[in-house]
Order: sequence, then C-alpha cells, then structure tokens
Amino acid sequence: MNVLLLHLAILFVFPPLLLGSIGKTKAFFAGRIGPPLLQPYYDILKLMQKASVYSVTTNWIFRAAPMVSLAAVVSAGILMPVAGVKPPVQFGGDLILFVYLLALARFVIVLAALDTGSSFEGMGASREATFGCLSEITVFLNLTILALLSRSLSLSEIFLGGLSSSWLQVGPVLILVVVSFFLVLLVENSRIPIDDPETHLELTMIHEVMVLDHSGVDLAYILYGKAVKLFLFGTMLVSMMMTFRTQDLWVDTIFFFFEMIGFAILIGVVESTMARLRLNKVSFLLFSAFIFSIFGFIVILVRGAHP
Amino acid sequence: MIFLLVSLFILTTSSLLIFLFCQSRKISARLFLWSLVAACGFGLLSAGSVLCQKTMVGPLTSVDFQVPVHLPLGEFYIGIDPLSAFFLLLLFIVSLAAGIYGYGYLRDYSGPRNVGVHLALFHLLTIVMVLVLVAKNAVLFLAAWELMTVVSYFLITFTNDNEQVRKAGYIYLIATHVGVFCLAFMFLVMGAQAGSMNFDRMTMTPFPLGLSALLFMLAFVGFGIKAGFIPFHVWLPHAHPAAPSYISALLSGVLIKIGIYGLMRVMVIVKDFPLWCPVGLLIMAAISGVGGVLYALGQHEIKKLLAYHSIENIGIIALGLGIGMIGHAYHQDTVALLGITAALLHTFNHAIFKGLLFLSAGSVIRSTHTGDMEHMGGLLKRLPWTGHLFLIGSLSICALPLFNGFISEWLVFRSLLEGVFHLDIFGIIFSILGIVALALIGGLAALCFAKAFGVIFLGHNRSSEGHDYKECDLTMRGPMVLLAVICLWVGLFPTTMVDYAFQAAQVLTGVPMPLALKVAIMNPLLLATRVLSYGIIIFVILALLRRFLMRHYLVHLTETWGCGYTKPSSRMQYTASSFAKPILKIFRSVLFFKVEAVRPKGYFPTEGKLSSSVKDVSEIFFFRPLFFVIKKFSRKLKWIQSGHTQIYILYILFLLVILLVWKLH
Repeated sequence: MNVLLLHLAILFVFPPLLLGSIGKTKAFFAGRIGPPLLQPYYDILKLMQKASVYSVTTNWIFRAAPMVSLAAVVSAGILMPVAGVKPPVQFGGDLILFVYLLALARFVIVLAALDTGSSFEGMGASREATFGCLSEITVFLNLTILALLSRSLSLSEIFLGGLSSSWLQVGPVLILVVVSFFLVLLVENSRIPIDDPETHLELTMIHEVMVLDHSGVDLAYILYGKAVKLFLFGTMLVSMMMTFRTQDLWVDTIFFFFEMIGFAILIGVVESTMARLRLNKVSFLLFSAFIFSIFGFIVILVRGAHP
Repeated sequence: MIFLLVSLFILTTSSLLIFLFCQSRKISARLFLWSLVAACGFGLLSAGSVLCQKTMVGPLTSVDFQVPVHLPLGEFYIGIDPLSAFFLLLLFIVSLAAGIYGYGYLRDYSGPRNVGVHLALFHLLTIVMVLVLVAKNAVLFLAAWELMTVVSYFLITFTNDNEQVRKAGYIYLIATHVGVFCLAFMFLVMGAQAGSMNFDRMTMTPFPLGLSALLFMLAFVGFGIKAGFIPFHVWLPHAHPAAPSYISALLSGVLIKIGIYGLMRVMVIVKDFPLWCPVGLLIMAAISGVGGVLYALGQHEIKKLLAYHSIENIGIIALGLGIGMIGHAYHQDTVALLGITAALLHTFNHAIFKGLLFLSAGSVIRSTHTGDMEHMGGLLKRLPWTGHLFLIGSLSICALPLFNGFISEWLVFRSLLEGVFHLDIFGIIFSILGIVALALIGGLAALCFAKAFGVIFLGHNRSSEGHDYKECDLTMRGPMVLLAVICLWVGLFPTTMVDYAFQAAQVLTGVPMPLALKVAIMNPLLLATRVLSYGIIIFVILALLRRFLMRHYLVHLTETWGCGYTKPSSRMQYTASSFAKPILKIFRSVLFFKVEAVRPKGYFPTEGKLSSSVKDVSEIFFFRPLFFVIKKFSRKLKWIQSGHTQIYILYILFLLVILLVWKLH
C-alpha cells in the first residue's frame, strides 16, 4: 500500500518539475535567470482558476478531449514502474496497452483540434498525427528489443532488473536503442529540434497549434498531460540507462529523482544548442531512429543473444 | 444442427414467398423483416450451441447432417464444427443488422428496380453463405461459392442504371471467377489425392509437402481474391461504393471473411505446409495491411476509404494467421494457438465495426446525397446518432482501448511477440516484420480515421448548398446501435468472445488448448480491462474537478480563434486531402501520389486548380495491361463465338465424341 501510494504520488506530483528544469537549463544557456523552477505548477494552478471560452463550432468532443487524454496518459502511467517501485498493475503484454493508451490520448486531441474547424488547428492535427504514427513504430520496435533482452512482456519486469545483465552482454544494442528512443522521445513530446513549444508563429507549430482554442481548466489538463507524457518517456529512458538499484526504496527514489533532473537538463541542453529542423526533415529523423533500432535487432540476432 | 436447418428452412421458404409477392412492396418487405429476424435468431442459437460446448471438440467431431440422396459427384453433406460456428455467428449478426437497416433504407426508395426481388436475393445470399460455411463436401462448397458470387453480383448492381455501378459489378464478376477457377482446380487435386470429395476423407488424407504447397498457392489466389489481399483487391474499392450501404456492410463484414474461412478450412484439411507458405502469407499480409491503409489515406470518397480499410484489416487477420501457421510449422503450440485465435477474433471484430461503419456511412450518404468527404463537415450536430455511431466504429477500427479492435490487435501483437520469444532466427525476423507492419498499420489507421471522422463530422460544413439533413429513423438506427453495443461489449468484457475464438482455433491447430495458456491469455486481458476501468475513474474525477472549478463561471461562447484573421470561411478549413498530404508525401515513392495543379497566372488570375489523387498501383500497372493483352488475344478467338445455340450444341457433341474416343483407348 505504501509503495502504491509512493508510485501514484511521484506520478502525480513530479512531472511539471521536469518542464521547470528544462526551462531553467535553457535560461542558463541564454544567460538569463529564467522563470522559477516551480513555474509550470503555478501555470497549471493559474489556468485551473480561469474561466473557459468555447467556440460555437465545437461539440462535446472538444470539451471532453483534454480529460480523456489526461486520463489515458495517467492510466498508461499506472503500468510504468517509477523509481524502482512496482506499478499497481502489471501483466504480460502491458507494453502494448501502454502504447495504445498514448495513442488514444493523441487521437482525441487530434479530434478536438479538428472540432474547432480552424485551418491552423487542422494543420497542427495533421502534422501531429503524421509524426505520431511514424514514431509509434519505433517505440514498438524498441520495446520489442527490450522485451527480447529481458525475456519478458511486461514493462515492470523489463525496467525493474530485466536489463541489468544486458549492458554487459549486448551493450551496443542498448546504446542503439537508447539513441533511437531518445530521438523518438523528442518527436513524441514535441521538443526542439522537431517542434518548438515556445515558437510564436502558428504556421510553424505542431503540438501548440492544435490546442490554440483550449483555455482554462482544459488547457491546464492538456499542459499537465503533456508533462506526464514527458515524464513517462523520461522514466523509460532513465530506466534503460540506469539499471543499477540499491534495493532500498528511499535511496532508489532519491537516485531516480536526480536521474530525472539530469534527463530534463539533457533535454534543455539539446534545446539550447540545436536549431529547429525544417518540417519536411522530421520524417528523416524518424526514419533514422527506426533504422537505429533495426540495427539493434541485427546486432542481437548476430550475437545470438536471443534464446 | 436442428436450429440451423430451421433457420435455412425459414430463409428458403420466405425468399420464395417474397419472390411471389414481389409486386406488393409492403407485404414483401414485412415478410423479409420478420423472416430475417426469426432465421437469424435460430442461426445464432445453432452457432452458440456449438461454441458453448464445454467438452473438448476435436478437429473431426462436428454436428453433421447428411441427405442420403447421392447426386453425381457430390452429396448434400453439411456440418458445424466450432470453426464454422464462429463464422456463422458473425454472419448472422451482420446479416441481421444489414437486413433490418436495408428494410429501413429501402422504405422510401423510389427508383425503377423491384425491391421485392432485391430482398429475396438478400435472403438467398444469406442462405448460400451459410451453405459455404457448413458444407462438408467440395462440390457443394463450390456450388454454394459460385451461387454466392452470382447473387452478390445482383445485389451490388442494384442501382444498375448508373454506368459506374455496372462497371464495378463487371469487375467483381471477373475477379471472383478467376478465383473460382483456382478453387475448382484446388479441390480437384485434393479430391484426386483423397479419392473423395468429402472433407472428412480429405482431412484424413496425408498430402506430400510439394503438393500441399501447390494447394496453398491455389487457395491463396482463389480465396485471396475474395478476401481482398493486395494485389487481388482491385474489385473491392469498385464494388463497395457501387453497392447500397447495407450490401457493402454485408460484403465487407461477411463475404470477404468467407475468403478467410476458406483459407482456414484448407489449413484444416491439408495441415502441414512447407515453411515458406506461411512466411509468404505473412509477407502478403504485411503488404496488404500497410498498402490498404495507405491507399485508404488517399481516398476522399467515404465508402472507397472504408473499402481500402477492409483490405488493411484482412492484412491484420492474415498477420495473425501467418504467425500462427509459422508457429504450427515450428511445432510451437503457444504461438500457433495465439496467432490463429487473434486472427479469428479480429475477423469477428472487423465484421462488427466495419458493418457499423458502412451502415453509418450509408446514413451520411443518404442525407447528404454525396460520398465525397470534401463536401461534408460539421455533421455531428445535424446527424447526432449517425455521428456518434460512426465515432464508436472509428475508435474500434483504430484499435483504441475500450473498444473491440484493441482486444484483437492486442492478441495479434501478443502472438507476434511470442513468435519473437519462441522461434529461431528465421522466425524472429518475420515476427519482427509483422510487428513493424502492425505498428505502422495501427498508427496509419488512427490517422486515417481522425481524418474521416474529423472531416465528415467536425468543423464547419464545407458544402455550399444548404441541405435539410435528415437523421435516419429507428429501423436504421437500431441495427447500428446493436453493432456499436457489441463493439463496446467485446472491448470491455472480452472473455466470452476470446473463449469462442479459442474453440475455433483448436480446430485449426488440432491440439487442445492447454489450460495454462488459456489463463496466461485471459488474465492479462482482465488486468487490461482493470486498467481501463481505472482510466474511466480518473476521467470521472477529472470531469468532476472541472465542473467544480468552473462552477462560478458562465460558459462563454464565441467564434473559433482565427489567429488574427477575421473573415474565415468554411472552405478554408483543412480538408481531407490536406490532412493526409504530409503522410502521403512521405510514402509517395510507393504510392503513386499525384498532385495536379493549374497555377494562377498574371496579376488578376481567373483560374487556379489543385487536385491530388492516389492511384492504385496494382490496378494500373498490373491488371490493366494484363487485361489489355487478354483482350487482344481473345479477340482472335472471336470466330468461335457465333451466337447460335445450335453451334454451341455442336461443340458439346464434338467434345463428347472426343471424350468417348479418349475413354475407349
């Protein structure tokens, strides 16, 4: 029970801090002080206290989408081991449910964007759906590699110790997977170099332009859902790289905390040092991520690390 | 068995009666409706009674019925084993829904065709499809199969005053007859090997590997044409838009599934194939799946889009079947059972949600009088029932959690992942191929249905004319609600249907399902539904929180934020083509994606045009040249065809004399 509460607490409280840390890092590179570390929390709280404006074109789908999307992302989080803590539910094949829940979250937001009847939001929806479906393949492929290495189909077994010996045996494969997964992570969470969360021109946006019409609580849900999604992908990346565990719950949790902050700083560094890619180059990035994981497979098959 | 015979009896007598009373539209329609309900009720009972048997049903035990009259070659020998029963289940559900919908659809039909005859043919189609599914004799099977093709041709060409419809019917007829040719050849080879046209005898006969490979290829072409594998799919995108919507639902929901049934039946009979056969099936499945959904993305006609999605789903089904057969070839029962179960369950699910989608697409077309998505938009407000039912269908076909498509795609994924675990390096490579294909299909399908639902039902109406859209009435709404409820039921409580699919899968693999494996599959499904129920609880909490936070505010309604532009028109919305363009551009090298533009010229341009289209590669580059060549050669044989009956009788005489001489030697 204790562990369950810890899992849910981390899942609910921690995610916006990642956004704050990314902001701080970027500010550091730009030579500014930047907004406070807790700014995303303030933003979400502020938005929750505001009224919403709705377009007359929209249906209930527009209003329900932020809630469905957030609920789907959090349900996906229920399957994910966090900080060495076993998730409340685990079963063989839950990685498929995990990916499909994230797909559901994206699907409803895309529908909400089309619901407004605005050409800009339609544009964002089209781009998000396009890149989303291409990155989904690579996510699946990477998870399959990890499943093969850890001989398990459950996220909790893969990320809780299933990979510890793999770094010694097939290190190169995991490096390829980590690189490929990091690229997909950037796409899925609409970070630079794919999408700029702080751009000011609607024509160049991907994710932000989809949610232009949302306001108040709805926008708060969307922001929060985005943070949780980033958190989940970050957790996966960190668990892949840091397989060492002390078996002590609290020490592990504190380790995890620092690892995640490190991950946020890494994202911040990438965002500060790279320019945005042109839109038509994003697919190349996704293909290279795909090819990285295919290479990973070839290495596994050649090395004979499979049964 | 008795239930099925009663059902067949009701269908036969009532179709004759409808035919007799076809002059009176009211009587024939009433007769049609009630006999359909009764027959489908009995049919479902018969299928259910076989599937619910708790005793282990071996591949050869089935409930049989034989008419002791021996005709030359064949006999009337039918039987229901769990495999047939599983397909009968989906046949009767979809027939019932499509039939009731058709009854409502035709009520205010005012065209020149006789509705009574059409309805009698609908019954006849159900009868022959049932016969195909339960036939235990190859001659009976072929006869029913041929009748099925002909009857469905007449149903497709209901509105044959339209040139397009006639052409589509013609393509359908040719394509399926190529299939019949392969099937007849296949059954002859089987019969020669077994010494009998009886399926039971054939099942007991061992086939050498070389011969079974030949049989597999014949079966793949023959049944593949019906099922709509790429490149044999060309008839599908023509026939579906041409047929009335409830016929499309029946075609896509049941008729093409009978192709899958045939393939499975051949696997029951022949059992062991060389490894490259299932591998070939898996590759063709991946091509069909990805190709189908990519073509679907390029379509702007709603029923054409749905037709291409049928090809995609046949691909998913065959992915499960292929990995199951590979597992069978490797003697890995876990992989084999899982893959085939997944294929069967997806067959059922696809029948249900595709039926739902075609029926609701029919309601859209009925009220907008067009199938072109670019002229629709904002219909959710005008047609709330149709819109929400279409949404349920879309969510199911995208395999999103809570709906039935997810359960079967989850099983297909699971079987492919088990393939990665249990097979050797060769098997792993093809399992990975399957995983990549399925992941891509899943993503693209979601994209395509976001497009379809978004463009048709959301946003502003793009049509310039003001229509008074009429929502469909109860007889059309009822069947759609039935199908939607089944979608949700299987999505939330999957155990019953998975259990039925297990029963049927055992017939194919010939090994009983180990209890441990059953638990290993059912438990995750139950846990998955538990996660989904958590999700629903979270959703409710979020909704309550939102309501609590907004309790003091009035909801403020205004126009959509136009990013500073103050005079947006509905024509400026993102269209279906623009929505799909990014992904089509990425795949343009395999897709034959063409954009034709007439650029505006000068300072005061008067003309400007832009249109994009996706052409079907196999139709343009394979079948058209092929048929051109065939036409050229067959023209040279034209002198044989004089058109006089006497001369044809002379030909028959010649043939008989030749045969006689051959026999006497």
